[in-house]
Amino acid sequence: MEKLQLFFQTSPVDPTAAGQALWLIIALPLLGALVTGVFGKIIGRQNTHLVAVGAVGGSFLLSLLVFWAINDFRSAAGSPFGPIAYAVGADFGTWFSAGAFKVTFGLTADHLSGSMLLVITGVGFLIHLYSTGYMSHDAGYWRFFSYLNLFIAAMLTLVLADSLPLLFVGWEGVGLCSYLLIGFWYDDAQKAFAGRKAFITNRIGDFGFLIAAFLTVLVVESIVQLPVTSLSRAGADGAMVASRYAQGVNAKGALSMPVLEETARILPNLLTQDIATGPLTGVGYGTALTIILVLFLLGAAGKSAQIPLYVWLPDAMAGPTPVSALIHAATMVTSGVYLFCRLSYLVVLSPTAMAVIALIGASTALVAALIAFTQTGIKKVLAYSTVSQLGFMFLGIGVGAFWAAFLHVVTHAFFKACLFLGAGSVMHGNGDEEDITRLGGVRKEMPVTWATFLIATLAITGIVPLSGFFSKDAILHAAHVNGIAGFEWAGHAAYWLGVVTAAGTSFYMMRLYFLTFEGPRAKDAKVPHAHESSPVMTGPLVVLAVLSVVALVHGLPIMHVQRGGVTATQALMENFLDPVFRTTHDLVAQKQFLVLPKEEHGLLGAYVQAWLIAVVAGALAYWVYRRYLPVVKKLPAALEPLRKLSFNKFYVDELYTALLVRPLTFVARAAHRLVDAVLIDGVMVRGTAWVTKQTGAVLRYLQTGDAQMYAAVMAVALAGGLVWALLRVMP
Amino acid sequence: MNSIYDSRILNLVIFSPLLVAGLLAFLPRNEKGQIRALTLGGMVLNLLTCLWAYSRFSPTSPVEFQLEYRLAWVDDLGLSYHVGVDGISMGLVLLTGVLGPLVVLSSWTFVDERVKEFHLALLVLQTAMLGAVCAVDTLLFFVFFEAMLVPMYLLIGVWGSEERQMAAMKFFLYTMVGSVLMLVALLAVYFLAAPAGMRSFDYSTLYNGLMSANRELAQYLKANPAGDGAGLSAAALALLRYGPYLFLAFALAFAIKVPMFPVHTWLPDAHVQAPVAGSIVLAGVMLKMGTYGFWRFAIPLFPVASRQFQLLLAALAVVGIVYGAFMCLAQRDIKKLIAYSSVSHLGYCMLGMLAFTAEGATGSAYQMLNHGVSTSALFLLFGFLYERRHARLMSDYGGIAKVMPVFSAFFLIVTFSSVAVPGTNGFVGEFLVLLGSYKSNLPLWLSVAATTAVVLGAAYMLWMVQKVFFGQVTHQENLGLKDLGPREVVAALPFVLLIAVMGLKPQPLLDVIDHSTQRFVARAKYAAGEGPVDDSKVRVVVRPLPKDAVAQVAPTLPPAVPAHPTPIPLPMRPVRLQPAQPQLQPATP
Repeated sequence: MEKLQLFFQTSPVDPTAAGQALWLIIALPLLGALVTGVFGKIIGRQNTHLVAVGAVGGSFLLSLLVFWAINDFRSAAGSPFGPIAYAVGADFGTWFSAGAFKVTFGLTADHLSGSMLLVITGVGFLIHLYSTGYMSHDAGYWRFFSYLNLFIAAMLTLVLADSLPLLFVGWEGVGLCSYLLIGFWYDDAQKAFAGRKAFITNRIGDFGFLIAAFLTVLVVESIVQLPVTSLSRAGADGAMVASRYAQGVNAKGALSMPVLEETARILPNLLTQDIATGPLTGVGYGTALTIILVLFLLGAAGKSAQIPLYVWLPDAMAGPTPVSALIHAATMVTSGVYLFCRLSYLVVLSPTAMAVIALIGASTALVAALIAFTQTGIKKVLAYSTVSQLGFMFLGIGVGAFWAAFLHVVTHAFFKACLFLGAGSVMHGNGDEEDITRLGGVRKEMPVTWATFLIATLAITGIVPLSGFFSKDAILHAAHVNGIAGFEWAGHAAYWLGVVTAAGTSFYMMRLYFLTFEGPRAKDAKVPHAHESSPVMTGPLVVLAVLSVVALVHGLPIMHVQRGGVTATQALMENFLDPVFRTTHDLVAQKQFLVLPKEEHGLLGAYVQAWLIAVVAGALAYWVYRRYLPVVKKLPAALEPLRKLSFNKFYVDELYTALLVRPLTFVARAAHRLVDAVLIDGVMVRGTAWVTKQTGAVLRYLQTGDAQMYAAVMAVALAGGLVWALLRVMP
Repeated sequence: MNSIYDSRILNLVIFSPLLVAGLLAFLPRNEKGQIRALTLGGMVLNLLTCLWAYSRFSPTSPVEFQLEYRLAWVDDLGLSYHVGVDGISMGLVLLTGVLGPLVVLSSWTFVDERVKEFHLALLVLQTAMLGAVCAVDTLLFFVFFEAMLVPMYLLIGVWGSEERQMAAMKFFLYTMVGSVLMLVALLAVYFLAAPAGMRSFDYSTLYNGLMSANRELAQYLKANPAGDGAGLSAAALALLRYGPYLFLAFALAFAIKVPMFPVHTWLPDAHVQAPVAGSIVLAGVMLKMGTYGFWRFAIPLFPVASRQFQLLLAALAVVGIVYGAFMCLAQRDIKKLIAYSSVSHLGYCMLGMLAFTAEGATGSAYQMLNHGVSTSALFLLFGFLYERRHARLMSDYGGIAKVMPVFSAFFLIVTFSSVAVPGTNGFVGEFLVLLGSYKSNLPLWLSVAATTAVVLGAAYMLWMVQKVFFGQVTHQENLGLKDLGPREVVAALPFVLLIAVMGLKPQPLLDVIDHSTQRFVARAKYAAGEGPVDDSKVRVVVRPLPKDAVAQVAPTLPPAVPAHPTPIPLPMRPVRLQPAQPQLQPATP
């Protein structure tokens, strides 16, 4: 055991060198995107596949090396505030700087971003491989792989960036690729519209993100201006903190992660104070922090499809299925969760923000689950289930279970990618049929797809002992026992919403499974017999299914740590992410905004409870869709309005159109007609011309050509001038 | 570093296009190919001189105006031929130089009538634009500024679309209104800034002459905000009384050029009617004359007044940002949409400048260059489409991506630059402008309102892209459209490269602008009683006239105060108000 540990903790490459090579991980897929995009048509389909898959595969291998290097006991990334344990990274020069502001090309990989690296490149590699089969008939293959590679590069930038502006490059970059890929089949106006909707909804989130970033700069700069005495804290002298802080801001910029982390360490003593300098003068630090976090939440809600900005994700299923699996399930949509894990040290300083995040997450989870009950498109159900699972992750963030939220990101990436690819396989084998009511009985014809889909379904419903159970249970457990100071009710509400949603998840997922795979084949099916997909497609399915089982290891409470003389048991993932969340834990202990349970609860009870919920709801789905409905053919009339409400997604899209889109378009048209055409051009511009013309017309009568008249006027004027001059001279 | 050529480079930069125009005049009018080739050669040559100037420009040098050249011209008026570049004009020179050859390429086949006159107009316009950004003498600036109008008027009026006459007239009249007011204000400043015998139109004379009065006034107003000016020196009193009006005259002239809301309505018409070359030059360079004017003249010369009007102008800038975006959503004509997007983007330039912060000013200057690249590229690319189809409405297109994939790829990249996606040039400018605005003394809601354009910008650009490029091909005529040819790719490629380079490696350009922005912010804050009190940080130092000149116009560095020979009676009305001994005594810091 010791030897094994030592093996994993001794990287074959020098950690410093690994840090300096981080850019390669991004550059490889970027190069792939360039080559396939520009030369893809010339080099042909096979070569394009080779380049695209090879680029991501290479990135995956590099990520493995980097991951190994992070684990190395010698590894430590430099930061202005001293080395960070278990992280590698390097600074690649200034991106831009102006005045006191600066952004550098700094990349850092720690346990959090390292895990993301593996998920992105690993799942990304599998999905690239799958796509070579799935897109084998599409003429736009070169475009597809170029976008897909570009997406991987952007997503890697997002997780490796060690400052918010650089993170924003990846953040927008993935949004851009998502826009391009949703609208990949652009000659269908509906699909092009879905892409646009996704981008603009994401932009609404970015609006929040940007404001939050600017306000953060103001807060950081006001801290720089603070007197030294107010900065002292336990174990650090005020003068030293101040000088290090100023140096850090100068070297890395106000929005770099090390500076933000140090800000979080400084803030606890300031929370009740007012900001004394800059445009935010008079606003309390605590209030400012809450506002900033809520604005970041808006940004994260855009990217991670939370209320009120979740509406784009279901429509995003217009894109090719591998895209849905990679971007709209496994990676991009989790970037909001990643952002909050990164900023966890700020989150735990604002109970209000935590409560808001928990409630938003929980309600998103529930609403999406309710909509998923009645959807008939196989991808639509999966899309809403993604929204719902993302809600779980935010719920975890809100109650301070960052590691659990992140574990759910990882396990969800495995089983949801598996589900989407399975759905793609089903569609591929059934003449692109999406409607689950017109499928059925696929089980026997597509055995591999069936088996992997079943495993992934069981994982997402939270059946012990698959990976989904451990991550979801960890989140719900935290919601149950952690208290948000002052907002205990929010924690309880979030917990119960979460439990109800967990039951709902089991119901709609089993419904999806039964309708698609079990029972007889539907009469109006497109093709009489489905055919199993090629190995290049089923291979990734098997790997992902295995991963969604194996990932359970992360959730096992097998690590024993000494904390304050007591031996505590931690889940593997919790222990693994401990270096990342060290500051966060310190702040929780210091401020007590998050009240952690005193003693460990028995886990067995929770296991049984979760198991019961999943099995009962799943059995209910079986009864309704395989026993009850096939016989009676119709829902009871009392339930019909509810079904309609859920089927039409609570009319939220219609509501947004009526409340936002229409009025804004109307205002634009009206302003164009009224202000520009009538007021400015009509009244002001033409008015000026008209006045000039009229004045001219009047004055014209003075110009008679009568010399005598002119002479007379001249004489009168001269006389008048003379009189005036005389009056002036005389006292 | 110093080479004998350095002082002559700018002359080459400015007049090489004119020189080529002289050669062009000898070509027979039917030799269209030769005319185009010669013009293209001339523009490339011009670009090379611009790059030469850039290579001799030192971003770190403490000298404000570099590569200076000065020659006595009309001594009696204090007018000299005086050119030089600082950071911001260097940036604009580069932008103008780069656009030159691309403009010629863009119209290679588009213009087929009066080819010779067309290219003559382009060359003359190039000289006028370069002259205006290099001029250090204000009257020289004014001359070049006005000289731009004529070729542009002709470009719109002769080679434009159906309603070209109306648009050209509107453009000309709008601009003239501003120019006339500016000329009056310029004359007033000329008389105000220096005593008789020392007067000059040189920027240094005007700025240094007003500097101490401005500061005296600022300190006075700080002590008694509503004071009537009792006890002020004559010059400061004059500034108190007439400064706001003079500032407004300058501001209106430049605001029309920018254009700011509500004097923007000439722009959509001009853009829609102008030929593609006209649109590119108009959007790329000429609009920057407005922002450049604010940067160089209106704000530094009247820092106190610009403080008074800061909120109003910033509010107008934000209205322009949001209103321009809304206008875009209401358009059906693609060129009009791009034109209104210019109103929105230039609102950002103005907002950044009016924030009076280093971040905002840098962002504003960078945004000028960005807009010159992105919007010109949009007009260039749309010009290619227009040349094929002669239709401007979005409903005339649809599904173009299928027919013209290369063209669509270019257009999409430029669109994302215009929407300011990070990694493209647009993001750096927009981010810095907004950051500067948040950091400034402007109200927070104003900055938040400006930020909404992040959403609106994506909304209108992507809406247009969808209408034009996506969906099915709905018009039979569009099916046979040819994709871009080699010449067109050559014209479009530099834009895409610039978008990427300026987005990923902006620092070299930002370094060039850096000293300029520092001076701008110092000058804007200086007189308002904030910022450095050290005169040497803001004083304009230029080289004196050649030795045989009559007047020693510019003070050299060591004496911080212009040396007055004897007490001089002030020429303006203040003489009557303070008959005792009006002296131009700068308040001691």
